[in-house]
Amino acid sequence: MMKKSLLGNAAFAVVGLTLALWPLSGYEEGIVVLLCINCIAAMGVSLLTGFTGIFTLGHAAYMALGAYTAAIMTVRYGVHYLPAIVAGGIIAVLVAWLIGVPTLRLTGDYYAIASIGLGEAIRLILENWQSFTRGARGFPGIDSYTTRWTAVLFFTVLGAGMFNLIGSRLGRELKASRDDRIAASLMGFNTTASRMKALLISAFYCGISGALLGGYMNFIQPSMFDMMKSTELTAVVVFGGLGSMSGTLIGSAIITSVMEYFRDISQYRMLIYGALLVSIMVLRPEGVLGNREIWSFLPRFGRRD
Amino acid sequence: MGSGMQLATLFQQIINGLSLGSVYALIAVGYSLVYSILSFSNFAHGGFLVVGGYICYGMLAGFDLVLGGQHIIGLQPFPSAAASFPSTSVPVSLDFIVWGQHLFSIPSSIWIGGICALIGAGLIAILTERLAYKPIRERTSTTLYLLIASMGVSIVIENIFVIVVGGRFRALPSGTFDDIFDIFERISRFCGTIESTGGNASAHLINLGAGVTVSMFDILSLIVAVLFLGGLQLFLTRTRWGLAIRAAACDLNTAGLMGVNVARLISIVFFVAGLLAAIGGIFLSFRYTLYPQLGGTITTKAFVAAVIGGLGSLPGAVVGSLILGLAEMLTAGFISSQMRDLVVFSMLVIMLLIKPAGFFGRQISDKI
Repeated sequence: MMKKSLLGNAAFAVVGLTLALWPLSGYEEGIVVLLCINCIAAMGVSLLTGFTGIFTLGHAAYMALGAYTAAIMTVRYGVHYLPAIVAGGIIAVLVAWLIGVPTLRLTGDYYAIASIGLGEAIRLILENWQSFTRGARGFPGIDSYTTRWTAVLFFTVLGAGMFNLIGSRLGRELKASRDDRIAASLMGFNTTASRMKALLISAFYCGISGALLGGYMNFIQPSMFDMMKSTELTAVVVFGGLGSMSGTLIGSAIITSVMEYFRDISQYRMLIYGALLVSIMVLRPEGVLGNREIWSFLPRFGRRD
Repeated sequence: MGSGMQLATLFQQIINGLSLGSVYALIAVGYSLVYSILSFSNFAHGGFLVVGGYICYGMLAGFDLVLGGQHIIGLQPFPSAAASFPSTSVPVSLDFIVWGQHLFSIPSSIWIGGICALIGAGLIAILTERLAYKPIRERTSTTLYLLIASMGVSIVIENIFVIVVGGRFRALPSGTFDDIFDIFERISRFCGTIESTGGNASAHLINLGAGVTVSMFDILSLIVAVLFLGGLQLFLTRTRWGLAIRAAACDLNTAGLMGVNVARLISIVFFVAGLLAAIGGIFLSFRYTLYPQLGGTITTKAFVAAVIGGLGSLPGAVVGSLILGLAEMLTAGFISSQMRDLVVFSMLVIMLLIKPAGFFGRQISDKI
């Protein structure tokens, strides 16, 4: 057990170092940064939707909270960007806790509906709170603090953390409560508490991702974090395969690259994206990897169980 | 602001709210109907609305139907702005040209445009169901996949319009409903009870006294909504297919076992949903403007209305829509027009926390 998680962490370190050190052109560096940002948010949503079975359509709001917190802290108060990014994640967690206490009682479609409402409400508050967020005009002049190093650092640390988490006791607890909540609570798990933990962790990941996005784009606007963005987050997770963290990363990478590839014909980009979404659901609804992790496809050498 | 004026604003906003609510009701009922049969949230519903709106707009702006020429159906370049429409009720005629022969031309009016829009949107709804939802339904019972596919469909429909007709805001010509308003005016003159202040083509207002006016358009949308919702009610309660739909709303599989042709039933449901959405689309594009993203914003509202009333319940959808329309208009009248959407979403969340099943929904133990 110990050996396996060490191996996984080592693999993640290697991936991180490769992403950080491999010589790339400026354009490719931009794609790597975007990839890291999207993967961090997707991992967060994957934990909630794929591993805990809570379907969300409002997680872009946590990205917005992270982005605005980091932007306001760095621009207005001159805070260093690293604590500002982390603070973005923490604010998202606090709001998620406030929201989660009453709404996590809801299950199935009803939580998804509530999350749409809450996500849109947060976006509208950001849009109407002119004095603090500059409203719908957006928040310009953010330092480009999200360099390739920063993005890869956060991706590697959070990614390794996530893979350790899903193999841990909490991860198994979440999967148990996803598969059968009543049975899980009969086994002695406090499913309410573990669902809350999943929501908070996923909000943290989305908050960090939003903060990084702000530093990458130098400009944020409430409409960047609308229902469309929330849908995209969930769609990426479903595309990768519900209940597969490596699938989420692969799905996120594929969607990001496809969208990037079609940047030249931007008119058709969203059309292709929509058609892709429908065809995936029609042709392979279980996603790229299904609910298995990528290493379970490797030949089983030297494993005894 | 004196209290008399506040009272006038209150009445005015109640009338506006009921009119807006009746349009939401048309959309929410179709959405709820689909939900009651397939129990998934059809996010593409707004797409049907936009299809209806654009067909009606295209018919009023003048299609050039050419068969056997270089193109099958040639879209005349759309006028760049609504201002280019003459304000008469019959802007252009539809010319049907087959093999270069001019067959016939009919004056395009709201009647033809409207009927084509309703049928067109209904057919698009059936097509969507056949292409996107049916293969998924046959493969799995998880409604999550249908939900995501419906989001994909809504993105596809929206962007087809962005590409084909462009993302500009368009308005239906101001004289769109003049034919119908003429009838209203004749009736009101016949009754002699209501003073009509018509004349200006864009402002058909009826003065109710004390500074409260109601536009003929508001009355029209209320009447049409009532007619179609009543028709739907008759269809559901008096026909064999209506009975089958009500049975399927209880349990689709059992209805299938009882000999109902489930595939046809679902097609009928989608046709009805698309048709109702198209009426809503026409009214909304006259009231506000028509643009490809209109569907998304309005579906969310219809969705909220359906949840407030109780998901899957048709009377619930109507009540929820009226509540929503009133809440929106009263917020706009007394607080601020920018707070409208915030109030809508707060209502959604509060409703879900207090009574997730809505006013008329079926209590299912899974909800809490």
